[in-house]
Amino acid sequence: MRRNFGPRTVVKGVVIAALLIFTLFPAYWMISSSFDARASSGGQSLLPQEFTWDNYIFVFNEGRFGVFLRNSFVVAFFTVLISGILALLASVAVARFRFKFRTSVLILVLTVQMVPLEALVIPLFVQVRDLHMLNSLLGLVVVYLAFSLPFAIWMLRGFVAAVPVELEEAAYLDGASWGRMFRSVMLPLVAPGLVATSIFSFIVAWNEFIFAMTLLGGASDTYTVAIGLKQFFGLHSNDWGPVMAASTIITIPVMIFFVIVQRRLSGGLVSGAVKG
Amino acid sequence: MRTRPWLLLAPALILLGALLVWPLVRVFLFSLQDYGLREIVTGESNYIGFGNYAEIFANPMLWTVVLPNTIGFAVVAVSATVIFGTLVAMLMASLGTVWRTIVGSAIMVAWAMPAVTGTYVWIWIFDADQGLVNETLKSLGLMDESFNWFTNPFTFYAIVVLNIVHHGFPFVAITVLAGLLGVSKEMLEAAEMDGAGPIRRFFAIIFPTLKPVFSVVIILSTIWDFKVFAQIYLMPGGAGSNRDVLNLGVWSYVESFGQNRYGFGAAIAVLLTVLLLIITAIYVRTLFKEEKE
Repeated sequence: MRRNFGPRTVVKGVVIAALLIFTLFPAYWMISSSFDARASSGGQSLLPQEFTWDNYIFVFNEGRFGVFLRNSFVVAFFTVLISGILALLASVAVARFRFKFRTSVLILVLTVQMVPLEALVIPLFVQVRDLHMLNSLLGLVVVYLAFSLPFAIWMLRGFVAAVPVELEEAAYLDGASWGRMFRSVMLPLVAPGLVATSIFSFIVAWNEFIFAMTLLGGASDTYTVAIGLKQFFGLHSNDWGPVMAASTIITIPVMIFFVIVQRRLSGGLVSGAVKG
Repeated sequence: MRTRPWLLLAPALILLGALLVWPLVRVFLFSLQDYGLREIVTGESNYIGFGNYAEIFANPMLWTVVLPNTIGFAVVAVSATVIFGTLVAMLMASLGTVWRTIVGSAIMVAWAMPAVTGTYVWIWIFDADQGLVNETLKSLGLMDESFNWFTNPFTFYAIVVLNIVHHGFPFVAITVLAGLLGVSKEMLEAAEMDGAGPIRRFFAIIFPTLKPVFSVVIILSTIWDFKVFAQIYLMPGGAGSNRDVLNLGVWSYVESFGQNRYGFGAAIAVLLTVLLLIITAIYVRTLFKEEKE
């Protein structure tokens, strides 16, 4: 389909170009600064001038970002695994069973998502300290489970509800128990939804800042990437090259996951949000 | 059969109860106490009634700095995010598959940027010494000396708005786009034949059809922008040293963990939670009303 190259097309082209520049510029600037030897000494221009890997080498050697990356992966992995299992069980309950207080449970799940983390940080700090889990990654995993669960339940609910009940009944007719049906019918069919919610939980755990800062405050060996970057920024606040290199390292896994999940994520958000 | 849903729900509910509901009760209990370093070490309680709340409401900081920052910022950021996101969605709806995919992927890049790294990139862009904005303005001759964008609360929040809009508009654009693609093409064409211009078509057909989508998007953005924390805390001066840029969340945090006034900070946090619960109540009501319709 070829269109006339009229003034409307030109205007639209300019608008799209402006939009793309605005959307992509911060990411471009981050990556280009991270490879530019001049970013730390000033005088960097829009295009990188001296290509270098030094910023990255510095980040891993002096910045100990290897440790922070490992910590973040450990925390994210256990958050994803446990919240996936718990959310799946809970979403089957709310999507498949009609029981007393079902609506109340749904409202609870929806409402707790709105609780500001700033309100939870004081009591959870005391609670985690009483359990002697300050400065431990396990304490952080437990807290992140609470943050990722409500949304995971809310989103998985839609995927579970989409599995035809007839398939379940067919399994029962074939003599399967509820557990067998769950494993052989339900689980494979909601697997795509499980992938989407896992990625969401991963991103929550990977990006979270205020609790990582509060609960891990004392021991930099247990820092996750988000607060590793903050400490790094404080030490070398004028060295923008390494700060941007570290930022790039943190951003890449999230971007990869976003690309994988983009369709499902937006679809899930819409159906989860609009269909109630 | 009766107990099965509760067995399935039990682990999740216990976790949410222990880590979200109980702490919420506790933050309220803390807010009624003079809870400082001694109490946090010994675990003793020290009830003083509503003293902390009285102190907050008597504090001119609340009325002249913190509330205007919190509410003003949320109003500006939510309107900017929703309007910009909607315009982008309408642009995307008018594009062919190839360009829609290109714009959609670019949007995903903005969305995927973690709040922490995104904030550092904006700080770097506006950095007082070598930042791109200052350098560009100087080389164009528009400015003689570097300007510190972070000391003035107005320019400080302008950068926060930029950061939040950049990070928040993709959600609005993608959600509204999904709704737009469901608007009946026949109706739009009929309206166009009847002589309705694009603005008229938007308010007469698109907006009413998309009303549920807009209410979700607006309320969720409002909730997110009310409790914005890292994007302010990480900015130069944002962690409490510049009192003029505090919002409710950061104020609560710096009073608690900076000054060891956990009771006072808890009371501020309760205030923020109550504000958000009111918005949430509206959200839940809208959702369930629409489900019934």
